[in-house]
Amino acid sequence: MPRPGFVLDVDRSTPPTLFWRGENFSLERLPAGRSRVIYPPEPLPALKDIDGAIRTALLHPIDQDPLPAQLFPGMRLTIAFDDVSLPLPKMRRPDTRQRVIEAVLDMAAEAGVDDVHLIAALGLHRRMHDYELRHALGDRIFDAFHPRGMLYQHDAEDYDNLAVLGTTDHGEVLEINKRAAESDLIVYVNINSVPMDGGWKSITTGLASYRCLSAHHTGETLQNTRSLMGHREHSALHKSIWRLGTLLRDSGPKIFQIETTLNTDMFPEQFSFISSREWEWSARERATYLATTKALSKVPVKMARKIFHSIQGPHQMTSVQAGETSAVHERTLAKVYEQQLVHVEGQTDILTLGIPFVCPYNPDGVMNPILVMCMGLGYLFNMYRNKPLVREGGVIIMTHPTYRDFDPVHHPSYIDFFEQVLPDTTDPVVMGQKWEKAYAEDEWYRHLYRTGNAYHGVHPFYAWYWGAHGQQWAGKVIIVGGDPSTVRRLGFTPASTLDDAFEIASDVVGRTPTVTHLHVPALLVADVH
Amino acid sequence: MADQRSVPLSRLRQMAKIGDAASSALQAALAPVRSLGFPYRKPTVPRGVTVPEPAPSLGAHFDTDWARGSLARAARRAFVAGPMRAAVQWLASPAVSGTDRLADLADLDPPPALIFAPNHHSHVDTPLVITAVPEPWRSKLVVAAAADYFFDTRLKGTLAALALNAIPIEREVTSRTSSDQLRRLLDDGWSVVIYPEGGRSPDGWGQDFKGGAAYLSSRTGAAVVPVFIDGTGSIFGKGMKRPRRGRTSVVFGAPLRSADDENTRRFNARIETSVTALGDEALSDWWTARRRAATGESPRLTGPDHQGWRRQWALAERRKLGRAGQRRRQKRRWPDLG
Amino acid sequence: MSRLVFSRKPMRFAAARVASSLMPGRGAAVGPLSLEPDEQLALPSPEWVRLRPRLAGICGSDIALVDGTASAYFDPLVSYPFVPGHEVVADVVDDPDGARRVVLIPVLSCEVRGITPVCDACAAGSVNLCERAAFGHLEPGLQSGFCTDTGGGWSNEMVAHRLQLVDVPADLSDEDAVVIEPTACAVHAAERYSGRHTAILGAGTMGLLTLAAITVRAERGEVERSGPIVVTARYPEQRRLAKELGADVVCAPDELPRWVRSASQSLVMGDQLTGGAADVIDCVGTSDSVQQALRVVAPAGNVHLVGMPGNVTLEMTSLWHRETCIRGCYAYSRADFARAIDVVRRFSLGRLVGATYQLREFHDAIAHAANAGRRGTVKVAFDLRPKEGK
Repeated sequence: MPRPGFVLDVDRSTPPTLFWRGENFSLERLPAGRSRVIYPPEPLPALKDIDGAIRTALLHPIDQDPLPAQLFPGMRLTIAFDDVSLPLPKMRRPDTRQRVIEAVLDMAAEAGVDDVHLIAALGLHRRMHDYELRHALGDRIFDAFHPRGMLYQHDAEDYDNLAVLGTTDHGEVLEINKRAAESDLIVYVNINSVPMDGGWKSITTGLASYRCLSAHHTGETLQNTRSLMGHREHSALHKSIWRLGTLLRDSGPKIFQIETTLNTDMFPEQFSFISSREWEWSARERATYLATTKALSKVPVKMARKIFHSIQGPHQMTSVQAGETSAVHERTLAKVYEQQLVHVEGQTDILTLGIPFVCPYNPDGVMNPILVMCMGLGYLFNMYRNKPLVREGGVIIMTHPTYRDFDPVHHPSYIDFFEQVLPDTTDPVVMGQKWEKAYAEDEWYRHLYRTGNAYHGVHPFYAWYWGAHGQQWAGKVIIVGGDPSTVRRLGFTPASTLDDAFEIASDVVGRTPTVTHLHVPALLVADVH
Repeated sequence: MADQRSVPLSRLRQMAKIGDAASSALQAALAPVRSLGFPYRKPTVPRGVTVPEPAPSLGAHFDTDWARGSLARAARRAFVAGPMRAAVQWLASPAVSGTDRLADLADLDPPPALIFAPNHHSHVDTPLVITAVPEPWRSKLVVAAAADYFFDTRLKGTLAALALNAIPIEREVTSRTSSDQLRRLLDDGWSVVIYPEGGRSPDGWGQDFKGGAAYLSSRTGAAVVPVFIDGTGSIFGKGMKRPRRGRTSVVFGAPLRSADDENTRRFNARIETSVTALGDEALSDWWTARRRAATGESPRLTGPDHQGWRRQWALAERRKLGRAGQRRRQKRRWPDLG
Repeated sequence: MSRLVFSRKPMRFAAARVASSLMPGRGAAVGPLSLEPDEQLALPSPEWVRLRPRLAGICGSDIALVDGTASAYFDPLVSYPFVPGHEVVADVVDDPDGARRVVLIPVLSCEVRGITPVCDACAAGSVNLCERAAFGHLEPGLQSGFCTDTGGGWSNEMVAHRLQLVDVPADLSDEDAVVIEPTACAVHAAERYSGRHTAILGAGTMGLLTLAAITVRAERGEVERSGPIVVTARYPEQRRLAKELGADVVCAPDELPRWVRSASQSLVMGDQLTGGAADVIDCVGTSDSVQQALRVVAPAGNVHLVGMPGNVTLEMTSLWHRETCIRGCYAYSRADFARAIDVVRRFSLGRLVGATYQLREFHDAIAHAANAGRRGTVKVAFDLRPKEGK
């Protein structure tokens, strides 16, 4: 039976705690008596018969007819699926998407459906490389559909192939992929890693146009998204998306939503020290930790990056549900919370976060400084329900090398964003008004997004907006071990060691602050009371 | 005869001379013992006495248990990972796919024993399958081999048992001995390769599946993994004198278990359909194969019903679709215009 | 009383070249420059007067000479031994009108050389393009400070033709006055400014002064600014000054192509922008800077070389393909000095003089000037004014 997550109060016999530092780790001692470490729940047991469970979900959907009953010869069927941004690290083959889509296609074949399109719902993310599509969908689907042009990636800038379905009462335009909009049935295949994703967000962002997305991906909206991972009613972003979703349900094509949840078994056996609790480390785990950190500190960062990005996680499936989007999503959320929720009492003055080598926007790429901000303040800070782990005006300390390094293929506009926008302003609202349009409409970025493997020109803004709430909430943000000038440009304070960081923080939170450490990587949502 | 005539006469004479020299040397060496009789030589049998037949130790009765001892296993593992893999790679350059369909079973502890049921064209099939089967099954794999072919002499049987972990099985009717042995092995966690066709294809087209794999599965509960092998027929098909390099593919299908209300015959038919669909998948693509399988239009492995040249003609067409048909493009040679 | 003398000593010139390759500015210690006692110069004609320098700037071309990196092109254009120093503010010795503080126009044109009739260029007022720079009754000399007959600013006494003198307004300090000569160069360069998208490479003295001159032109409405001005600066002090002197964008040199790309909405082919800046003013003059200029200049655009380039290696295919023009930009005409005084006054450019040295400290002075940017300085000068109470 997996143990639930728990909160450890650090005392003098607590061993040092594991922190991610980009492409490496460190063990840090937290002040005894006033620190606590939040450990994620252990991975839930996986489904015994995954393919059987998928079939059952398709045959007995929630609030809808069984999938085979919705398939008929001569129909237009569109299967959309989540892109490479999840799960992280990439899933060991066979990927969930492959399993689910093969099951759907099996039924489509039996029903005699000929007109099937598979679309990667990547929104403004980068197009997936062929090897990534092959990894996510498996050789069989890739080889069958890709050469015929029936497997392709969504293009949010191809206005000839986008269709406006209506406008919400708040003036948000719903504009999605035309093929999907004109289908007799859209089957959406989702992987739910964090509670933020899934539900109506799948189609209204994944298959949306830039115009549609820009309505709710703004600095103001994200500043007012006070619960990205928790209660939807406190998230301006999700309220907007749910308005679009309702419009989609009422005036769009039929949708068959399939959502899956994974357990938190994210790293292969040889990296077991990452997710086990430090005082339970075996001799082998201690040796692995030492060997790994020593070796990683010796090799060039490029090679370390290669090593980390080649990791494939087990990511076992814990549930699959299909049918009507809202109803399906409620069950998914329940399952995600079952895996990820940890009960926590009260807030602290300081929140410490170890930032890993990857975030949803740099699979197989460089974790650039903007993504460090996005991962820390956008994702990890937001992993709460009710209220943040740190009090308003408290200090957030992150550990990451924060080098000034960018992936020129994946993140061309990020480089310009760092050089042009950040020296001018770090305020999400100001940059949105002053700079966003030029980046969104830049022909070169558009070209790279549409034909290369680059994120959309406007994406660095969205990555930055993601941290808007955390940026407002924190009195000070300190990055330990980062390149000083780069950290300063992000608007944060550099520190060389964690102790220095506590010293610097004392200006804001006094000499004896309370500290919370979020023990990532395993994902967890802190339910703070 | 053309072959023999192509050897030049001078070479023939040369070889004859060498033979003469060798035999005279042998005669000279054996001269001291030639006159010795029994007990240095085999006794002759007196008239009227019937010598009882020795207990059969060849064919289906060949004892192969020793080949699953730890020493033999270690030797075989080294042999499979080294020379066999290299030879298969060189000779058949296989493209293996579909192993992800077994990933879930591989995660179980202990991984269940499986029955691999490939189609059969060539002696190359067995090394190919052995090297293509993913771990953890590869290191605990026995191959059901025709008793009358592989175990007819002691040397052949020993080599087959050691190198391939072959066990003898009758082609037509599985005897009690064979089936008991297979069940025992499956219960011990050994996976089995059985060619349901019972032998190599005589003409390049497949043969109807015999019920061995289905029967064994329904008796033991082990799942049957359909496997399709493409391209080995043109590498070392039945009747070929020496192997020719080529390209092959091996496709693993999803494991099958007999349903509660399914008899062996129907289960066998389902296995054959699966291998047929895998064949279609290998030669066209998965989606086409699924649609044809759904409507029962998968091209049959056993080929068209008609006989004669049209059957061979259709076979050539089919081969073009396979990996073997995708020959590397010839280097373009420009005509010499002086 | 002493002077710095540059002699023609090939061995020492080579030694300076080696030393400066290790550390810019080191050429002063081993090179052909030496401190020598004063020697009174003859006045070439009654038109000439004696000057007592107050401040004399150290220019990039001076450093190139001392460090042994100057091109052999100049050899026939100078006469040895000479006293360097052409950015000079000086007192006129024994002027009949009393105390008179002047800035030197160092160019030695036909009139100064006593050549009649003057060449076509001098007749047109473009003394910088004078065709008789090595001829006439003076020894060869590109400018005062390169000619054995005139002396130079790095001494306590030199001679100059009356036409070479420009009076310094009383409201300008000596520091302001010493940057008038380089500012005149900048004013000349700024005439090339078209108002369109412009990139200025380098924010040393020439880069900053050119920027200032351009800003003054735009402020006076002589040209309409229709595109941004992007300036590359390596050091924080340079960045601050460039911003202050009117740059729209100040960026690090390696960031320039991206800034120009987004400002010009270009696409990219390999290293080459498809569009680019209409004008690129290169105030560095190295292979790298000229190459970068070709990468970011728009098709049919202009690259202006304000920094002295010497021997450079270039990939010029894009120049051919995109019909780019590379054009030198040297010195000034006499009229540019009046404008230069305005520019200096507008931005009080005397503050660019960040350090002054005595002549005997010339090793340190040259080393400082050669590393000015890194050490947070723009201009370094010799202070030749008599010390109070001495």
